[in-house]
Amino acid sequence: MNHERTNAPADRHGFSVRRMGVRSLVSRVAAALGLLVVLASCATDAPQDTWQPKGPNAKLIDDLQQPIFAVAGIIGIIVFAVIVYVIWRYKDRGQPIPEQTHGKPALEITLTVIPALILAVVGVFTVRAIFDLARTDDSELVINVTGQQWWWEYDYPVQNEWGITQPIITSGQLVMPAGTKVLLRETSRDVIHSYWIPALNGKRDAVPGRIHTLRLEADEPGIYAGQCTEFCGLSHANMRMEAVALSKEDFAAWVANQQAAYTSPAEGTLAKEGESVFLNQCVRCHQVNGLKRADGTLAIAAPDENVWSGAAPNLSKLMTRNTFAGAMFDLLRDACRDDVWKSASADFGAKYLAGVDETCLNVTDLRAWLRNAPAEKPMYSNPALLTETNGKYRGMPNLGLSESDIDKLVAYLLTLK
Amino acid sequence: MFKVGSKLFLGLTGFAALVLLAYIIFVERLAVGGVALSLVFAALVGLTSIVLAVNEGDDEVQPRDATLTRASMWPLVTVVGLVLFVLGLVVAQVYFVFGIVVVLAALAEWMVQSWSESASDDVLHNESARRRLLHPIEFPVLAALGLGVILFSFSRIMLAISKSSGAAMFIVVASLVLLAGSLFALRPSLKPALVSGICVVGAIGIVAGGIAGAGAGMRTELAEAKEEGHFSHRECGTEKSKYFDKKAMKTLSLRSNVAAVIELRDGKLTAAVAGFEDPQETISVPRSNPVTFIFRNHDDTERRMVATLGTAMAASATQEAPSEKHGDSNETCTQLIPNGAEQGLTITYNKPSIAQETPFTLSVPGLDGQYIEVLVP
Repeated sequence: MNHERTNAPADRHGFSVRRMGVRSLVSRVAAALGLLVVLASCATDAPQDTWQPKGPNAKLIDDLQQPIFAVAGIIGIIVFAVIVYVIWRYKDRGQPIPEQTHGKPALEITLTVIPALILAVVGVFTVRAIFDLARTDDSELVINVTGQQWWWEYDYPVQNEWGITQPIITSGQLVMPAGTKVLLRETSRDVIHSYWIPALNGKRDAVPGRIHTLRLEADEPGIYAGQCTEFCGLSHANMRMEAVALSKEDFAAWVANQQAAYTSPAEGTLAKEGESVFLNQCVRCHQVNGLKRADGTLAIAAPDENVWSGAAPNLSKLMTRNTFAGAMFDLLRDACRDDVWKSASADFGAKYLAGVDETCLNVTDLRAWLRNAPAEKPMYSNPALLTETNGKYRGMPNLGLSESDIDKLVAYLLTLK
Repeated sequence: MFKVGSKLFLGLTGFAALVLLAYIIFVERLAVGGVALSLVFAALVGLTSIVLAVNEGDDEVQPRDATLTRASMWPLVTVVGLVLFVLGLVVAQVYFVFGIVVVLAALAEWMVQSWSESASDDVLHNESARRRLLHPIEFPVLAALGLGVILFSFSRIMLAISKSSGAAMFIVVASLVLLAGSLFALRPSLKPALVSGICVVGAIGIVAGGIAGAGAGMRTELAEAKEEGHFSHRECGTEKSKYFDKKAMKTLSLRSNVAAVIELRDGKLTAAVAGFEDPQETISVPRSNPVTFIFRNHDDTERRMVATLGTAMAASATQEAPSEKHGDSNETCTQLIPNGAEQGLTITYNKPSIAQETPFTLSVPGLDGQYIEVLVP
């Protein structure tokens, strides 16, 4: 290298200038990225921000992580500053190597004891928080949560005190009363998933064959977003969920509506034709409670025969939800969605319970989904690749519906309220 | 044209073909004997082909002091392996895999033997080279095979004889092994041939006993238990099954993560469900997902829990407790368990409750009107 420098001074300067330019550019990009990361933490419209707790469980975690973060941050800055100082102060300037000594017991013991004490204090509070979060004995409402590729199913066991006299089943949105200790009993039908609504509590894995409990409680009515946090396959990133907290009165109204009998569309309407399409196509996997076939028998879906996980979302009262396809898409148009999401707590319940009507329906995404679901959400839905799953799909396949059938189906689905 | 060896093998092959033909015509085409004779015939065809191919060696006159190669069994073993390999393609996969293993092992042995025989002019050195290369593999493999055969034979003996005879047999065999071991230890001057002889006689005795035991079949008790299916139960009533309900006092390792714990106390059936403080009369479980219930009996009489699974295909139990169809409905049950005992039952409900004319229930035979309804949304 020195040889090259000696023989090519012009090149050396050119090389040096170029290198300085590159170094400057890298420094600027790194600084910009760092600034971006810092600024990103200041976002206010971040529904999955762990630093914005909206319930006592999440607050408990936040109360623990804030001081720990502060202490860890201060220690980190001190360590970083010392490292920088030592690097600068003792860098090689050709000075003689200083005298080497073997350890300093007093200093080493001090540097061991201080972190140990800090960790012990952190440990005491952490263990206490873990036990507090694990409490289930004072739960007020129990909801079974079942994960599968790539959506969440919620079923509400009979609980007469909440007016639930028959099991309620829904998906995509977990509806719960605000200010209530809600216990989720989580499990999975296929692989391990993880349930996480950051504003309401930490995450908890949903494991096949096991029932894990997780407590949620929201201070105020509203919608709280989350998503699966355990990699679970092709559409893991699209496996989302929303917890909807309603006032107790609104929750009672929601429960009553969910248990209301099925009403078939009026004869001669487009929706009635859509019901026939649904019976011919969709009911193979999707259940609509109370739906009957032409011969008067109940239409019972058979997802156990067609879907790998053995289940598909129950579409009873679909239009009382705001999302579909594992909460990946909104059933509401953007303006209507914003109207619900950003409404004041006092108004939220009424707006949510209004459900989805024709004017607010996000018909674009719904039609695209019905036209070719796997194109909208990646799923193992190639009929030629079903040998390993005994001919069963993971997710919804392309049903090859005609535009006319889609019109009818959309009209029918709008009646499911 | 044909020399003595060729004529011999051709004759043997022809004879085997005739015997095989006669067996197929006069006895039975697909019997085990037919397969065995086919094997012999195929082996002879292979050997004859080799003999004809090599023309029984060349006719060059070997010098009087030339070292003759040893007789080798590996060509024969290779052919047997090849026949098994081909036979396995038609008959069963196990023959196919076994054939591959035999062929590979025989080829390896054959190659090393051939290589060692031409390694030098010193026959002893050549033999030593072969041993150094192959004994570290041969000994463990043969020891494992030998032990496997002996253990399998011993297990056949134990399955065939009665329980008390089995205990006696165990004591006798263990004593003989101890005696022989002590003798070998105390008399190190014993001739190796004698030691080998004792071991071989013992092994042959066990293998012969195993063959006899396999021929006799399992003792009646085991045969009946196998017929019953060990864990299945024909009737989920109050009666006690001879085998299924045997030794029902078990300790469950599964204590948590169950859908519900069903308890029978003071003649009342209740369900403890995680999350609910009070006992429940209904349990809500997800569709198409295995759920486990634990049944605890606090009653003085022996009781079992029965799960009514609705119409056929609506639900199924795990392999450990396969459901039995009675009329239009399936049901499965735990064993009869005494006071203080508990049993687990895992069930998958594939259809929702609304698809059933009669509800999914968990009940105890002999207790009228007591049941827990299982709701599947």
